[in-house]
Amino acid sequence: MSSVTSWLRQLFERILIRVWAWLQKTPVAPGGPRDSRQPTDNVMRTMNLVMPLKDKTAIGRAQAALVIGSSLDEIYSGLDNVGTVHMARFTIVDNNLLMFSFYDGDFHAYIRDFIMTLGNAFDGVVGLIEDPPPLPCWQHVDAFIEWVHQRDAFQLPDDPGTMIDVVAPNLDNLEDLSRYLVLQLDKNRNVQLGAYRAYPGYSVAQVRQRLGVGW
Amino acid sequence: MAAPTSSAADSESVELADVQGNILRGYRKSMVRHLIAQVIDTRQARAWVGATVGPDRSIAPSITNAAHWGERPPDVCFNLGITFTGMQALGVPDSATISFPEAYREGMAARASKIGDWSDSAPEHWKPWFQASDAVHLILTLHADSAALLDQFERVMMSGLGGQAFRITGRNEGAAFDGDEVHFGYRDNISQPRFAQVSPPGKFDGQPSAPLGTVLLGYRTALEQLKWNLPDPPVLGFNGAFNAFRVLEQDVFAFERFLDRAAEQLLDSPLADSLLAIGVEQGVGSPSKRLAAMREVVAAKLLGRWRNGTPLALSPRDPFPDPRVSDTDFDYVDDNAGSNCPLGAHIRRTNPRGAKIVQRVANHTRRLVRRGMPYGPRWGTTPHDADDGVERGLLGNFICADLSAQFEAIYYDWINLGLQDPRITGSNDPLLGANQEDASWFDVVTSQGSVRLRGLPRFVRTRGGAYTFLPSISALRWIGSNEKR
Repeated sequence: MSSVTSWLRQLFERILIRVWAWLQKTPVAPGGPRDSRQPTDNVMRTMNLVMPLKDKTAIGRAQAALVIGSSLDEIYSGLDNVGTVHMARFTIVDNNLLMFSFYDGDFHAYIRDFIMTLGNAFDGVVGLIEDPPPLPCWQHVDAFIEWVHQRDAFQLPDDPGTMIDVVAPNLDNLEDLSRYLVLQLDKNRNVQLGAYRAYPGYSVAQVRQRLGVGW
Repeated sequence: MAAPTSSAADSESVELADVQGNILRGYRKSMVRHLIAQVIDTRQARAWVGATVGPDRSIAPSITNAAHWGERPPDVCFNLGITFTGMQALGVPDSATISFPEAYREGMAARASKIGDWSDSAPEHWKPWFQASDAVHLILTLHADSAALLDQFERVMMSGLGGQAFRITGRNEGAAFDGDEVHFGYRDNISQPRFAQVSPPGKFDGQPSAPLGTVLLGYRTALEQLKWNLPDPPVLGFNGAFNAFRVLEQDVFAFERFLDRAAEQLLDSPLADSLLAIGVEQGVGSPSKRLAAMREVVAAKLLGRWRNGTPLALSPRDPFPDPRVSDTDFDYVDDNAGSNCPLGAHIRRTNPRGAKIVQRVANHTRRLVRRGMPYGPRWGTTPHDADDGVERGLLGNFICADLSAQFEAIYYDWINLGLQDPRITGSNDPLLGANQEDASWFDVVTSQGSVRLRGLPRFVRTRGGAYTFLPSISALRWIGSNEKR
């Protein structure tokens, strides 16, 4: 396909998306995992926090690296005391600071406990981010949780059947689902496509207990 | 940073006359009526709200506050909760309402999945007056000792400005049984957070006295240095509290039937004699006496108290210990295995006191004030009565300063997931949990070993509810003021 054809195709797609968006109002699906009545689905849940850096130069990226590096003690202390976080990792991708984690239970409780335990350490991190929340974070806990929730990537169900059941229960065929997906991804640019584990869900404490390392 | 603290918080004072009266202490009235109301005229409704804290009793009844009553308590205690959509319907400006927390803004129905309200407890199965997203604006709560007093109060209220300001869309009425008993036969209303500023001095239950920020906005919380944010203007939030009002249907027939089944399983287990009360276990009792005694053991294990209120933590094998033990002064720190009080028992799940739990910062920080009363007729006097199909349950108010940090965190992580202890993770609260018979379990542990009970059905279903804010007297005055805002 020539570059001109490709360009025309993309132009057509953009116009088509705008027409669809005008015809079919699609509410923005919230980020984070959906709650499940199966307890094993409510442990080892994923968070994909996408935080655009204010300073999009190498200096901005270096500042982020230094702030994370200087907060190691607080981060480990937070992990120990919160007790529900399996792992958390910080990564810079294309001038976004990403915090990806696996955690157990209620999202709000996880973020609240984490920030209450971490104290001021996280202020240095979010101070480098566009549109930061009110600081210090731990004195504006509810606002901070909402801020994180808004930046936690939308999580697509793993299969089309679940997409229809859970995400778009009013849809009754795959063609409509495709359009719904396009419109949803138009609004949710950052999405989790799937998170897979090779064994049933266990909480952090269950893993630690079975490994004999205390919980 | 986050260790629970009480000493600094204890020194804070509160103006009781500015706080609605059902928050810091209960009324001990025998009947309650919750009137679910929708605003039909914003201006009139705002005037009516303001009048509830004004001097003219011909316009609106007086809100009962927390100040000492003096010699004679009021015949009817009256309190007002406002939902988020109710705030909007009353014309409270967006600049003020936007700063309320997300859980309150979204409302209980929108948060159903967080609190286990799915399947036949989902909002679409709630009573009609709770179903629409904008259904509930106000919940007017009346407490009295007779239906006649409640009727008269309501009639007078609705014949005046109230009738022009809002319409009643639903009623939920409850009446106390003798001795604080509730459906399922347990004695209730035993343990509540104690506030140094309100409760008489003295040791009550070995738990830290609760800081005012446990239930009121504007004060220190149990999390060191943390105060929940006040809305703007602060007068709207200060001295106010959030309330999760719940209509909880209790399936007494299923509960009693489960006691039969579980008692038989335990009697057939090697643990039987180590569970039965001293005297009954020696084979002295007939099979029927042993079954009846074991049913009571099961009921006690599920709750964490014998049905008469005696805590298992202090009396694991005798509901009537001699000498008597305290109903409230106990902890679980010396019962790590749960052989006295099971790890998954209702009262231990919802308030682990000082026990080791996964979320280290959460001990003593998620406490709720509970004000509840049964509704519906008492179930048959014998445990084997057939299912009469009559709805009965509890009208519960779960009062706190932060719905997400307290009420929802308890429901999500502790009641319906058991996240606080790896030995119960994956199980739900045996009484209040969203149990499914094919997956539920509950472990009964003694020094002789353990038995896993399976097949617990859902005993409690949600039939309605709403998140409300219980504004201070000053806030009600502010809402009702006619000043141009």
